[in-house]
Amino acid sequence: MRQAAIILHLWKATIIQAMEYRVSFVFAIIANFFDFVFGLLQYLIFFTAAKSIAGWDSDQMLVLYGVFMLVFALHFILLYPNLVAMGEMVNSGNLDLLLTKPVNTQLMVSFRRISLEELGSIGTAVLLLCWQLYRGVIVAEPGNILLFGVSMISSLLLIYSVFLLLICLAVIMERLENMAQLLWSMFALCRYPVDIYPDRIRYAFFSFLPVAFIATVPATALLGRASAMTVWLGFAVSISAVAACSWLWRRTIRVYTSAGG
Amino acid sequence: MSSMFKSDGKFAVLLAYFKIIMTYRGMMIIHAIRLLLLPMVLASAWLSIEKTANNPYSDSDYLLYYLLVPVIMNLTDSRIVFKFSLAVKDGSLNRDLLKPFPPLMGYFLESIAGNSMQLFYLVPFTFIFWYFVSDRVMLGHLEPSLLLFFVAAIIIGGLARLMVSGAIALLSFWIEDVTTLNLILNGGIWALLGGMIVPVATFPDKIRYIAELLPYRYMLSFPIEIFSGRLSSPEIYRGFATAAFWIILFAIIMRVIWKTGLKTYTAYGG
Repeated sequence: MRQAAIILHLWKATIIQAMEYRVSFVFAIIANFFDFVFGLLQYLIFFTAAKSIAGWDSDQMLVLYGVFMLVFALHFILLYPNLVAMGEMVNSGNLDLLLTKPVNTQLMVSFRRISLEELGSIGTAVLLLCWQLYRGVIVAEPGNILLFGVSMISSLLLIYSVFLLLICLAVIMERLENMAQLLWSMFALCRYPVDIYPDRIRYAFFSFLPVAFIATVPATALLGRASAMTVWLGFAVSISAVAACSWLWRRTIRVYTSAGG
Repeated sequence: MSSMFKSDGKFAVLLAYFKIIMTYRGMMIIHAIRLLLLPMVLASAWLSIEKTANNPYSDSDYLLYYLLVPVIMNLTDSRIVFKFSLAVKDGSLNRDLLKPFPPLMGYFLESIAGNSMQLFYLVPFTFIFWYFVSDRVMLGHLEPSLLLFFVAAIIIGGLARLMVSGAIALLSFWIEDVTTLNLILNGGIWALLGGMIVPVATFPDKIRYIAELLPYRYMLSFPIEIFSGRLSSPEIYRGFATAAFWIILFAIIMRVIWKTGLKTYTAYGG
């Protein structure tokens, strides 16, 4: 509870800080809106040359895009600013300072900052999904909605474990810029349904490289095509991934011998 | 050639950039993932589509296209937007201005050093990948003149990207964060109309016409289109002319921005 209160206060502080640069905040929101629109246009142009991708028609792909943007925007709001800050924290030695404080370091490192610049994307993604719901592409039955909810939680947990993995890397390697690019490269794998890959790669994406659960599975849940088995498998995988990465983080901090200064 | 470089230190600076990049070898892995992953994803996507009737590309075309995308994307890449805006923010531009060396030349040389370093793994990777799909990729049409055009198109493409990025980068004199502007003008439109997501040749006619007029096609798609042998000589010449027009235009824009920007620049940071 105390941890949550601290994080809320830190969030308030970062928002106040962001509001100091109001013009650049507005600018960033506009840029993100354009980014969303470009993403949409990409699919529109894509489907002038293709009728369907691996069995997904353009409407179903729009659902996938909506889900993808939802997940991406949530990561951008909650995790991305912390990821950017991490490299600098290790370099400048501020991490040492944080480690001496009587707080849960993993929580602080993960959720210290927040960025509201992607709020627009969440709005547009929800609008896109609502539109597809209205047009009947999304099958709104209680069972599907439940599976969608579960698979969205798994998706976010998986991204969080990748985030943990990256900040561990930042601590170990002491100098690792552009970590966000690594994370975004992973997102590149999620923009298209995993059905496009050859069988062996697809198998990997459902097991030890679980990218399938980030966007494809939640989207299939909305389309009413997901099997409950797959969704719950994803949930189990994501819980174990977070547990494993949290353990790795604790180990990393134990062997960390300070850097910068 | 090298003596010309040596005389005013450009060659030494270029060598220095090579050494700096070697110091941060780890960064190359991140670059490699960035360069290779998305084209592979897109190749998989295009190989699993059901084509529309008017799509001129076959699986072989798509394979060849995305086999070359990482190489071309890297060779025409430029990080001037990030480097220059950082130099304005942290004040290292002040130092560059004092040196008896053209301040923007450094960014050009850094691009050359950075981009050619990536070839160490990109070329072997491309060849290995090509070996696996060689039975599906047609290369019988290749002849020396085509390869010559191919190389020239890469150089022109690199210049075009450098000039467009440079013009955006120089706006850092007035705008604090140019990377968002870059994301729209250079990232988004480039991915859309440059041929990253969808090869330009497979666009519907009207969109393709626009794409051929804009500079973005020449930064990625154009060299590959030449390599694939799908362009006729007049089309190639027209492409070079269009690209040259944009390069000259943006070179002039850059010069104007640089001159006026320097006057307003008051050197903050330290």
